[in-house]
Amino acid sequence: MEFGFQLYKEQKVDLDIIDNSIFEKIADSQPDILKCIGCGCCTATCTGGKFTPTQFRKAILLLERGLNDNAFDLLKGCMLCGKCSLVCPRGINTRDIILKFNELYNQSKF
Amino acid sequence: MKERIIFGFDPFVIPFTLGMVFIILYLITGTVRIIFHLSAQERKNLLKLVFSLKLFKTIKEIITDVLLHVKIFKKNLLLGYMHASIAFGWFMLIVIGHVEVLLYIPQRNGVLYYPIFFRYFVMETNQTLRGGFFFFLMDLFLLMVLSGIALAIYKRFKSRRLGMKKTTKHKPGDRIALTALWLIFPLRLLAESFTADISGGSFLTKSVNSIIQLFPSYDALITPIWWAYSISLGIFFFALPFSRYMHIPTEILLIFLRNAGIVSSSSRDGFAETEIYSCSSCGICIDVCPMISVKDKTKFTSVYLIRELRRRKEAALATSSQCLMCNKCVEACPVGIDSTRLKLLKKQEEFATNFFSYINLNNGQNIKEKTSVKEQIFDDKQVVPNKQVVTKDTNIANKETLLYYAGCMTHLTPAIYEALFKILNKASVNYSFMDKDGSICCGRPLILAGAAKHAKSLIEKNREIIKNSGASVLLLSCPICYKVFKEEYNLEGIKILHHSEYINELIKKGKIKIEKTTLNISYHDPCDLGRGSGIYEQPRELLSTVGTLVKPIEEREMSACCGGALASTKFSYEQRNEIVKCALTVLNVQKANVLVTSCPLCLKTFSPIYEKETMDIAQIVYKQMI
Amino acid sequence: MTVDVLIIGGGPAGLKSASLLESLGYKVVLIEKESAVGGHIKNWDRLFPDSIDAKEVLDTLIKNVSQSTIKTDKSVKFISKQKNSIYNTQLNSGETILSSALLLTTGFSLFPAQKKEEYGYGVYDGVITNADLESFFKKESKIEIENPSKIGFVHCVGSRDEKAGNKQCSKVCCITAVKQAIELKEMFPNAQIFCFYMDLRMFGRGYEDIYLKAQTEFGVRFIRGRVSEVAGSSNNKVTVKLEDTLASKPMTITLDLLVLMSGMIANKSNDNMLESLSIKMGDDGFVNIESPITDIGKTNIQGVFAAGSILGPKTLPEVIGESASVAFAIDKYLKKNKK
Repeated sequence: MEFGFQLYKEQKVDLDIIDNSIFEKIADSQPDILKCIGCGCCTATCTGGKFTPTQFRKAILLLERGLNDNAFDLLKGCMLCGKCSLVCPRGINTRDIILKFNELYNQSKF
Repeated sequence: MKERIIFGFDPFVIPFTLGMVFIILYLITGTVRIIFHLSAQERKNLLKLVFSLKLFKTIKEIITDVLLHVKIFKKNLLLGYMHASIAFGWFMLIVIGHVEVLLYIPQRNGVLYYPIFFRYFVMETNQTLRGGFFFFLMDLFLLMVLSGIALAIYKRFKSRRLGMKKTTKHKPGDRIALTALWLIFPLRLLAESFTADISGGSFLTKSVNSIIQLFPSYDALITPIWWAYSISLGIFFFALPFSRYMHIPTEILLIFLRNAGIVSSSSRDGFAETEIYSCSSCGICIDVCPMISVKDKTKFTSVYLIRELRRRKEAALATSSQCLMCNKCVEACPVGIDSTRLKLLKKQEEFATNFFSYINLNNGQNIKEKTSVKEQIFDDKQVVPNKQVVTKDTNIANKETLLYYAGCMTHLTPAIYEALFKILNKASVNYSFMDKDGSICCGRPLILAGAAKHAKSLIEKNREIIKNSGASVLLLSCPICYKVFKEEYNLEGIKILHHSEYINELIKKGKIKIEKTTLNISYHDPCDLGRGSGIYEQPRELLSTVGTLVKPIEEREMSACCGGALASTKFSYEQRNEIVKCALTVLNVQKANVLVTSCPLCLKTFSPIYEKETMDIAQIVYKQMI
Repeated sequence: MTVDVLIIGGGPAGLKSASLLESLGYKVVLIEKESAVGGHIKNWDRLFPDSIDAKEVLDTLIKNVSQSTIKTDKSVKFISKQKNSIYNTQLNSGETILSSALLLTTGFSLFPAQKKEEYGYGVYDGVITNADLESFFKKESKIEIENPSKIGFVHCVGSRDEKAGNKQCSKVCCITAVKQAIELKEMFPNAQIFCFYMDLRMFGRGYEDIYLKAQTEFGVRFIRGRVSEVAGSSNNKVTVKLEDTLASKPMTITLDLLVLMSGMIANKSNDNMLESLSIKMGDDGFVNIESPITDIGKTNIQGVFAAGSILGPKTLPEVIGESASVAFAIDKYLKKNKK
């Protein structure tokens, strides 16, 4: 149907068309990524998050939605300190996920 | 003595000779390749060593380690004897064999195979005194080697008697070399016994000879037996470079290079190659590794990693990522291979470096988060300048103040620094809390992940803050930070102290007083504080003023690893808990009322699993401070 | 002494089943290891959702049990099953009780909040637990902070937490937090109260109404984010760090008082007794029931029954309901045995 104006596509997440193959690949080797309940404890404690927009919880969410570049922006300031894995209530191996994403993202970009 | 065979040659010597030539050429090319891969400075150091007094120390080390295996004796007497008897016995057989040729058949001096097959080529019907002496020695050392071989066979079935719970699994190259090795000496015994009545022998060979004589037409077997002996030697030499026994010649080169101060700078070439080939796959590192408490992780222990590196397998990276880097294997290794360093180098070589960036730290600017909504005051391109690197909190007025850095982990255990501050206040020590509002990570977790290059940004920033603060003492409560500050930060002029050392000094100087309790205390040596930094006694001295220490099954250099180590990225939480439970057993915690650690990560690792109280050393001192 | 049923644990489950079994005509003995019965509810002030006085409930439960049945300061030293299916229980006092059936109602333990080191319980005066707060409401203890103006509640302390060794949800903490938030606001009307949660579990009848009331009438702010760490601040306050997940930003706030909602965990002091009876327990330490829907109360061992929070976190009405169901199950078992 013609509205006479454009639909603002960026406003919504269209689960029909996303490509989250990097998320799936990470889940194959580190299934912990599927366990996240989004409590945000990781982001709260993040060392890198004091200096940059580094946020693990949101990065996982963005990966799941296929927004890999946005996820990269949120993880490149990570100092690998490990505080997030210590506070995670689901016991997720966060650093393995970040390093795996490092590997896969590099392969896809560089 | 006379020669029995006119030209001093028989075709059976060919397999041995070929093998010998092969291995000599192999060793020469290997040594040249390794030295070629060293840097110019390292080669200079090696030359310096050869022309210095340290050469004698090097030779002494070769004798005690390569021949006598003194370090293995310390682990288990039988195991030590097994290795030493074979090594030393065989060495003496070769040396005395050459002496025999030199003395009695000088015209054959220099013939490669002659000393080995001495008892075939000579004729000795009379027992002369001096001949008898050498034959006695040869038989004695042959018996020594055979006893070692017998123990080695026994170890395959009952390894626990020799102090080893698990032994290494063999590869085909190992099995061939092993079989050949185990056959060489029994075959030598048989061969020399067959000719003992013609060529001479002593108590061992002559006795076996008398049994052989009972069988008719035994002479027909003389030549085949000597062929078998030569073939087994030949197979051994050809299989040597593809087996664990390459460690025999390589360890000699290793000791030279190590005494020249050379360390590995790649995970496979140069010094690393020497280390890798010096590994005898003895498997001592398996029993001490904390990983073996977890199902299916035994295949990631150091001995298997070294095998993977040797064969340039891709799996070496995954194996390196499993390692907790507790350094127990390095401590226990009788050859002294720094396998932790090899794993670190491997991780570094494979680390994808285009990901992490901390440029904002170095130019003192915060990067605003990119938003799709245009901000009225700032747009995406503009950065918010924030040049201040020293806040009034870290700017220290006088040199008497010490700078305290909590580090990432201690922020998750505020009880530690709150107790520490109360102790410092009681002792009237001025302090400044450097990372009160949050830390820039010390950089060690990045280094352990193989990203040493990236860690430099963090190190530079922290170093700037510390230097600009004017402090003369840096106090740390986390051993992970402590190790990196001491080793990588280059903070000359600043004393770096761990809080267990510092509090111990305060107690010894009488600045704080402790009321002793009747508590039984189990103290856990953190890997980075104990093996990593050599601090064992100060926490123990301190805790002895608080209560009674419980004696654990293993401690100090061989203390258990808690399993919480950051170096490994491959353990799930449940798997780490298996290691925790094992560590608690080693600590004998059932005899204790409280478990005390001096590392916040160890504390957070033990606390959920240990039912009774887990405390940091600062907490228990504060509790008992009068 | 010889009885029909020995009830181990004098909390609400034990008391209710004791009164029902007595009314069915059985000889019952109830032993309690502390000097007073009531279990945890003797430490509570008012119960959700209707603010019923806990003491009244406890008094009612005790009233319906005859005095001679209850024996306090008694704990189990050793239990064994004799050949004739009689249970022989030796108490710490040296007495022996023979019974045809056992009912285990030993309840739960509260998660020790000091094990969550990052929250600073025991380090900062301003950090207390839900149990400490109830005790304060009952005027049985003091809290060090006078006139708190900013108060926070941390949900899920020791629950849904692998790192604390407890995966299970403790069920009642969310509604308790909302209840306590309202009660604190009633006590300190000028205070600003926050609840930091992962999920809000308002599953019961009337719970959503209380949640709505807390938001509208009492101005309690509900923030979705799990607190990661607590640090001391000036003037005895504490600074709390969490992520405001709905706004996707890290958040900090300085509070006068922080209440940790400690969860329900299995009562480990009974492990020896349960193991000697070969009672099946789950990985979480609570006791398993063979058919949890149709045959509540029957453990895997014949003649041994269990009711209440020994089987897992639950609300008081569920405990009372279960006790009634188990009383009848025991009745059926004893009648069958007598034949």
